[in-house]
Amino acid sequence: MLSFVAFSLSRAWQGFWRNAMMSLAATATMVLMLLLLAGFWIMQTGLLAGLQFTEQKVEVVGYLQPNAQVNQVDALRGRLLAMPQVAAVAYVDRETALLRFRASMAAQGREDLTRYLDSNPLYASLEVKLVDPSDLGTVADALRAEPIVRNVINIEDLVERVLTVTNILRTAGTVVLLIVAIIVLFIIVNTIRLAVLARAEEIEIMRLVGASDAFIRWPFVFEGAFVGLLGALFALGLLAAVADPISGFLVDFFRVLPLQFGSLRRDLVVLVTGAGIGLGVLGSWLSIRTYLIR
Amino acid sequence: MSTANPPVATRPIRTTRRRILGDGPDQATPDRPLLVLHDVTMRYPNGKLALRDVDLVIPEGDFVFLVGPSGAGKSTLSKLLIRDEVATRGEVVLDGQDLARLPRRQVPRLRRKIGIVFQDFKLLPSKTVWENVAFALEVTGTPRRHIAPAVDRVLALVGLTAQAAQVPAQLSGGEQQRTAIARALVHDPRLIIADEPTGNLDPLISWEILQLLLRINELGVTVLMATHNAEVVTALRRRVVALEEGRIIRDEIGGAYHRED
Repeated sequence: MLSFVAFSLSRAWQGFWRNAMMSLAATATMVLMLLLLAGFWIMQTGLLAGLQFTEQKVEVVGYLQPNAQVNQVDALRGRLLAMPQVAAVAYVDRETALLRFRASMAAQGREDLTRYLDSNPLYASLEVKLVDPSDLGTVADALRAEPIVRNVINIEDLVERVLTVTNILRTAGTVVLLIVAIIVLFIIVNTIRLAVLARAEEIEIMRLVGASDAFIRWPFVFEGAFVGLLGALFALGLLAAVADPISGFLVDFFRVLPLQFGSLRRDLVVLVTGAGIGLGVLGSWLSIRTYLIR
Repeated sequence: MSTANPPVATRPIRTTRRRILGDGPDQATPDRPLLVLHDVTMRYPNGKLALRDVDLVIPEGDFVFLVGPSGAGKSTLSKLLIRDEVATRGEVVLDGQDLARLPRRQVPRLRRKIGIVFQDFKLLPSKTVWENVAFALEVTGTPRRHIAPAVDRVLALVGLTAQAAQVPAQLSGGEQQRTAIARALVHDPRLIIADEPTGNLDPLISWEILQLLLRINELGVTVLMATHNAEVVTALRRRVVALEEGRIIRDEIGGAYHRED
């Protein structure tokens, strides 16, 4: 078994270099296709992060009656947190609300009129963040039913529209990524098929001298995996080389969004390497099948 | 069915074969012909009828010329023997095995009992003579330590020891064909199928190749040679099986290329 693997690996290595032109052409195609796939993956990741950020902005604000007691507010908070739709509840007291109002006026360069007032006119509030923004109605209704809640601003229509847009974008992004993945699959499988076709006579001889299917198949499968691995390494090298300028551009582009690019890097390495080796193996496996099944 | 039950060779069947690799038991049994075709019809999926009601018995150690015009069914016959195709009807029995019932996994083992030689040699251009011959053993999982002695032995047999390190492009046509014959022999096959082995060679070299095949036959290997070379067939007076439009129209011992009336 071990000698069989050693034999297949050494034959794969020989096969790659004996047909260097064809192998390098297949590898180059692999690099380009993996870059294409990686590019769309990065775009899709950025898009999803942006959409998620937008959706996280959706929150329900319940303004509290001025006479609400601390223990009543705490009890309400507890009840809200117990709801599965609720991600977090923040209590904003009247002083904080006033400070925020002043800060926002100052940011807009408008005069702070509150200093003419002798008392704070604002209400304390509970800001409820949602697990899923489509549950907005349920949470808003629950808040409205509470006696210590003075009012809940109705933003259901607005949120619904935002959700429609984000869902369309998310679906469209996934569809585009899938189409690109299928195109990449077909091009790589066909390129490897050509490389195998160039060696049809060798395969024919192997069959005629009585080589078993395994002895014919595995060297080619390993060779495909090798093409995939080499292509993935090249593609990752290129990505690493352009990573800094690109991520600088992305950070500029999504300046407002605190996106997490840490896991993107790891995901990309896994995606590109996995896709490279997987497609190489798949391409060889399918191409060699044509010669084996009679 | 007028050509059914062809005359079996009158020569005694060889019961001992000198093994080329020098190991393994000798499986030849005197009461069992190496190859039996019974009532074989082959119709390709496109409807072409390549063989009709073919009956043929070849004893172990025989030397048979298969003659007939192009498209008579000679190549189809070879394909049936190596189970590249399965007969539409009838039985093909090689060494006691009915090939139609042979599981797919067993096909490579069957092919190691058969050595095939083609008109166009089918050598790998990037490998040396030695590597081309060794290739047949490598890809069938022969342990490395057995490969070198076996390759050296068959190269000596076909007289190519001196050319072992050359690649096919450096060889003459005759040497290339001898390399192909060495590759066909290295598995120590029971049967050599030679499909127009002299088709690309000039007359003198053709005789050389034929002498080599006769010598291999002397060693006990059955040889089935498809050919258009009338001169060779007529001169040697061996068993001649003539195919025409998929039927055996003649099967005689000591025959000529053309019918002699």
